[in-house]
Amino acid sequence: MRSHFAHLTLYSGIIATFFSVLSRRDRREQLRFGVMVWLAMAGGVIALAYLMLPFPR
Amino acid sequence: MAEPQPVAPAPVAAEVPPQRIAAALVVGWLVPGAGHAMLGRLRRGIVFFVLIMGSFGLGLAHDGRLALYSPREGFLTGLQLVANVGVGPADLLARMSVYGEAAYVVPETSAPNYRQRIETFRDRQRSAVSAYGTAYLWSAGLMNLLLLMDVWDIAKRRKD
Repeated sequence: MRSHFAHLTLYSGIIATFFSVLSRRDRREQLRFGVMVWLAMAGGVIALAYLMLPFPR
Repeated sequence: MAEPQPVAPAPVAAEVPPQRIAAALVVGWLVPGAGHAMLGRLRRGIVFFVLIMGSFGLGLAHDGRLALYSPREGFLTGLQLVANVGVGPADLLARMSVYGEAAYVVPETSAPNYRQRIETFRDRQRSAVSAYGTAYLWSAGLMNLLLLMDVWDIAKRRKD
């Protein structure tokens, strides 16, 4: 698999699930926290990539 | 008027014996999530096992770096090795399969296996997806090390 985006979503998913199960007990809390972490990771990378768009290599 | 009844103190969970804590830590390192299962958190243990071994498998499939300790860059390569070894014996099996032996160190340049080990290491690093693989591999090891700390906290009743 060579897609940056696929790896971004998959890796963020693994990390978000891990930390939500590790740090929250209630199922709904886990879901909320997991979605927040995933959005922060995936959204953060996309936002950073967008900011870097005017500065190509 | 009825007299107020004395409130019974909340039951305090018994402390886990030190031998059992040590066993949970060792078992948790050997099989990710098994430490939690040993302390009665079976479902959580299964989720952790799937996540960590999934990440480890993705790392191997994407030519992730199985770090070799080099005294020339002792600190960095040492940290890399810790991240690899954190996942338990699965790392040893991966090394046996990739390097053909339990390789943890960059050998002396005069050693007969030097060229073969370094070539294998560099071949994997040259792969286009190696950076992804390394992220998965090292995350798997570091997640398992975090789990061991969680096992300790659960055993000490600092956490549910």
